[in-house]
Amino acid sequence: MRAIRNIFRRKLRSALTIFGISIGVFALIVMGAMAEKINLLVDGGLKYYGDKVSVSDKMSGNLNIQPLSIKKIDEINEVDGVKAAFPNVFMMLDPDQTVALGTPKMIVAGDPEADKYESFKANTIEGRLIEKGDRGVAVVGSDLVKDLKAEVGKDIKVHNKKFKVVGLLEKTLTAPDSCVMLSLEDAQELFAKSLPPAIRQSVKPKDLVTSIVVYPEKGVDPEKLAKRINKEVKDVNASGPESFKKMTKQATMIFNFIMFGIGAISLLVGGLSVMNTMIMSISERTREIGIKKAIGASFARIMREFISEAALIGALGGLIGIGIGSLVIAAANSGTAQKGVVLFLLTPRLEIGALIFAMFLGVIAGLYPAWRAARMKPVEALRYE
Amino acid sequence: MPAKTTIAAKTTKTAIITAENVHKKYRLGRNNFVHALRGVNLEIDEGEFVAFMGPSGSGKSTLLHVLGCLDNIDEGTISINGSNVTHMSGSQLTKLRASQLGFVFQGYNLISVLTALENVSLAVEYASKISRKDRVKMSREALEKVGLGDRAKHKSSELSGGEQQRVAIARALVNNPRIILADEPTGNLDSQTSEEIMAMMRELNKRTGQTFVIVTHDPDVGKECDRIIRIKEPPTSIMSPEARKNRGVQPGSVEGATSISPG
Ligand SMILES: Nc1ncnc2c1ncn2[C@@H]1O[C@H](COP(=O)(O)OP(=O)(O)OP(=O)(O)O)[C@@H](O)[C@H]1O
Ligand SMILES: [Mg+2]
Repeated sequence: MRAIRNIFRRKLRSALTIFGISIGVFALIVMGAMAEKINLLVDGGLKYYGDKVSVSDKMSGNLNIQPLSIKKIDEINEVDGVKAAFPNVFMMLDPDQTVALGTPKMIVAGDPEADKYESFKANTIEGRLIEKGDRGVAVVGSDLVKDLKAEVGKDIKVHNKKFKVVGLLEKTLTAPDSCVMLSLEDAQELFAKSLPPAIRQSVKPKDLVTSIVVYPEKGVDPEKLAKRINKEVKDVNASGPESFKKMTKQATMIFNFIMFGIGAISLLVGGLSVMNTMIMSISERTREIGIKKAIGASFARIMREFISEAALIGALGGLIGIGIGSLVIAAANSGTAQKGVVLFLLTPRLEIGALIFAMFLGVIAGLYPAWRAARMKPVEALRYE
Repeated sequence: MPAKTTIAAKTTKTAIITAENVHKKYRLGRNNFVHALRGVNLEIDEGEFVAFMGPSGSGKSTLLHVLGCLDNIDEGTISINGSNVTHMSGSQLTKLRASQLGFVFQGYNLISVLTALENVSLAVEYASKISRKDRVKMSREALEKVGLGDRAKHKSSELSGGEQQRVAIARALVNNPRIILADEPTGNLDSQTSEEIMAMMRELNKRTGQTFVIVTHDPDVGKECDRIIRIKEPPTSIMSPEARKNRGVQPGSVEGATSISPG
């Protein structure tokens, strides 16, 4: 192809430009892979929270999990539109973990009965799930297998207590990957122990949960049901799917903003460097353009020639950036996998998007120099030294 | 003289290039310009082999450029093959250049990274939608015409000056344009090569009836032409002998031009 030959006429300069774009695309790919991971988590969350109401203590916050009395279940069951309500315990796997990079590692426990109502199913790739009456056993999420050295039949330590692993969860790319599932009773005990001594003495572990999951009757809007629970049951905070959406929207908005910022910078840097290359290449080849116009090359033809060159520079830069990005992401993921954290998810749509973006960038940046070249009067271009 | 009768026979045909009162100014600054062409009148008939001669800076290249639709003019009209090009759009001029005109530049002006064949076939590609295969065939034939068939695959930067000049001529001829404008086509050549190239162009002119306009400083080259249009500084009016006869000599408008017969 002629465009390839033209690019390789100036090897070093073209290489530097392509490298400049590669860096931009690389940044885009890495940030994008992080965003994709978060998007998937959010999607999983939206699916999970989509058809139910989650009830927690009024004082409970995101990082500050407050105990809730199991007796509230009876009160909730009285509310019109409730089909069933089950206790849940959610707590941090690492007691001192404050800010998590990626998904926080969690201990999760619930009533196996709830599975009958649950649309979001967890599956094991090995062993089994927690069953009614289980004690001292654990099911481990896929991202945590390495971190905890979990194997079916072997023991792992959770909050300094031994648990026998009975199952390993299938990879979902969402929250369950970084969870350890225990029986409700075991989790309740761990949770009670994590409370300040003053509270710990006044309650029985068996009465403590961190949240209650409420399944609405068929045809009942979970959002409306949450409002009703808030009105009729004291000291609780019931939230439907909307509040999860709202919460994640904020978080993803900030993230998207950062993404956009990095995208814009890479656009600017990459675009300017393509434009610079094209302008230099055109001023070097001004005589050539003059010759071509003089022997009958049309405006469109000169445009096409230079734009395809710019697009090719963009595409090459894009491919290299994607390549380096994929390698770095793979290395980073396998590095953090030891600690049970997966930060990046490289999707085909991200790779294709980045490539198209890079080509588009090349074309946009090549447009002005190409237009300048195509518009030149033949003699002007010919006189150029 | 046989040559003269040929001219007479041709001048009965219509003029293929006419320039009327053509002015060209090169702007250097806001109030500063070079008035390179000051009212040029000229007619060249189809099939003529004409030379422009004159001192350096007299405007020969400028005139050739405006006749070849490579540059615009400030006043007057130029007609090529009967159609007025003065108000043509850029794309119309591009088409005209591609299909009717062949330009041989002073100093070769080949694209150095392309081979001889590619340089020639580029002109075919711009002029028409011919298949790649036919393009190559036409280009090869044109190179053979100028005696360079065996150099087709050589990069033009690897060719000698005379060979490059001949590639440029092949490029100008490949589309069989009715008019070939050549700016000092032999300016960089030794007398031997120069004679070869002149003989080849003359031979083409006789065989195909294409019109040649060449700029030259070389009196020997001028002698080979049907007519020499002498451009003095500043050129004002140049007319074909037949046209002058027809219209009568206009005093004051012809002092810049003379014509001589060949031989
Ligand atoms: N681009 C330009 N800008 C300003 N002046 C120009 C330009 N091109 C040519 N001129 C001027 O116009 C006049 C005619 O130039 P032109 O190149 O046509 O001369 P020429 O007859 O071809 O000379 P030579 O025999 O040396 O090639 C000269 O005075 C020259 O300085
Ligand atoms: Mg000149």
